[in-house]
Order: sequence, then C-alpha cells, then structure tokens
Amino acid sequence: MTTCHAIRPLLPARADELTLSEVRIRADHVAACTRCAAEAAAYTRLGQALSAMAGLEVDPADGTLERILVAIGRRTVVTGPRVLAAAGASGALVATVVVARAVHHRRQTRRPVRRRPGVGRLRLRLPNLPVPTPALARAK
Amino acid sequence: MEVDRELVEAAQAGDRWALEELVRRTHRSVYTCALRLVGNPDDAADVTQDVYLRVVRKLGGFRHEASFSTWLNRVTTNVAMSTLKRRTRRFAVEGAAVPADTRDPAPEPAERAEAVALARRLEALVAELPEGQRQVLVLRDVYGQSTEEVANAMGLTPGAVKVRLFRARERLKATLEATEGAQVVAMTGRRRATGRRS
Repeated sequence: MTTCHAIRPLLPARADELTLSEVRIRADHVAACTRCAAEAAAYTRLGQALSAMAGLEVDPADGTLERILVAIGRRTVVTGPRVLAAAGASGALVATVVVARAVHHRRQTRRPVRRRPGVGRLRLRLPNLPVPTPALARAK
Repeated sequence: MEVDRELVEAAQAGDRWALEELVRRTHRSVYTCALRLVGNPDDAADVTQDVYLRVVRKLGGFRHEASFSTWLNRVTTNVAMSTLKRRTRRFAVEGAAVPADTRDPAPEPAERAEAVALARRLEALVAELPEGQRQVLVLRDVYGQSTEEVANAMGLTPGAVKVRLFRARERLKATLEATEGAQVVAMTGRRRATGRRS
C-alpha cells in the first residue's frame, strides 16, 4: 500500500485534476487509512463550501450601481449608430472649418511685405577693390 | 445569478431598459467576484464599472454558447487581472462584509445548508490568503473555471496553478480547523463556566 506521505499531495486535489491511476491510488489508500480518509473528507467539505461561495454576494458601497448606470448610459449614448453617424458628420464639418481657417490664416501671414527703401535686412557692402590678375602680380 | 436569455437578447438589440436591468440583476455578483480577486472594495467597484463598460462594447459578440453568467464571470476575471497588473494592492481586505445568500430559497438538503453556513465563514478566511493563492482558489474552486482557464487568465502555467491551488487549499483547511477548534474550545470553556456558576 502507498504511504500516507506519498498520498498527502493527492488529498486536496479534485478528481478531475488527477490522472486515473492517481485517483485509483488515492481511493485505495483512503479506503484503508482512517486518518487520510478524515483528511479527504475535510477537503471534500471545504470544496463544497467553496463552490457554495459562488452563490453568496456582497453588497457594493452605496452609489456604485448608479455610477455604473451613468457610465454605461454615457457609453451607449456615444456608441449608438445614429449618434455615431451624427457625431462623425459634425466632427468632419468642424475639422473642415478648422483646417480652412488655419490655411486662410497661414496665407495671410505669408503674404510678402513691401519694404520701404533703406529699411530691411542689412547687407554687407564691400568696396570695389581691384581683382588681382597675373599681369598685376608680375608688375609688382 | 440567473439571467433570462430574453433579457440578454433585448440588451443586445439595443434596448436600454434591458441593459440597465441586466446591470441591476448582476452587479452584486460581479462586484463580489471582483472583490474576491482584487482584494479591496475601491478597486472592486472600479473593476465592476469597467466590466460593464466592456460588456456594453462586447455584448453584440456574445453568441449564447456559454451561459451569460459564465461569460460575465470571464469578463470580470479578465478586467480584474488587467487592473491588478496596473495597480499594486493598496490594502488587504479587513473585515470583509458578511455576504448574503442570494440563491433561490428552494428546499435544500442538509449538506447544502451546511456548505452555505461554512461558505459564509470561509469568505473572511479566503480574503486572508496570499494574493496569488487567493486568486487561483477563487477562480477554480468558487467559480469553477478549469485549470487551463485560470492559467490563461493569470498568465501562469497549469503546473504553477496546481501548486498554488494545493497550497491554498491546504492553508485554508488548516486555518479553518484552527478557528473551528478555537470555537469548540471557547464553547466548552463557556459551558464549563456556566456549569460552575449553576
């Protein structure tokens, strides 16, 4: 017979978590060992209580339900097909107006400015010096 | 948490009242599952809201292959896990609210009644488990997800899930036996004390 020490890791497991041979080994041992049988029964009781927990509910804090309803209300209003179509059309209109105004503004600011004579960018004026030619160099 | 198929279908068809009714009927169960997974009431309330925002987005794709409650539990698990990845646990659940049994009051066998009574006591003990152990235990043993589903939801290998499950069950059983033992000792002490007085 398998020892209690070898069976111990199999005791908390559910049958569907074990292989067929493990299920058989556990069943054989539990049938012959009262201590392990008591352990197995305690785990079964625990498993039943844990699965019963699924039916127990905790009340959330006041206002949680209202907050959820407001949030999903906003989302459904935003995601409704008609609303989406209307939002898309108005968004496109707004985008067109914004782009048109931006282009117009840019054209206005880029229009060339007539400068008064003497006013404007400084230009470096160099004196007209004779360009050194080979003949001049030879004369020196 | 039982939800009529007609109600779900009406919500899928865009009936606003049906959607709100769906939320009213299921929000406690979603909140409870979220609380068991994330471990604190504030995060659980945020997860609950996020679950329904995701439900609104994905409800059209729900094909009734599984029950609505199973699907909703999966959505809750996914949202809770993503929330946990984003946030660190702020504080442990202390004095978790005593849950009320909302199942149909149909006649139940004695074993079932005992399991429910034990489940109420277990709620606080489960909340005290280490986070990783608590999550696998809740998903597997409370909500009945398969080891593979739990592994996928938590980004673990099935082997790692089994190890955590083993430790969680062993620890929970030991804690339960210790508290029950203490209760028995306390009751015996009280009886002895009253016996002496009389």
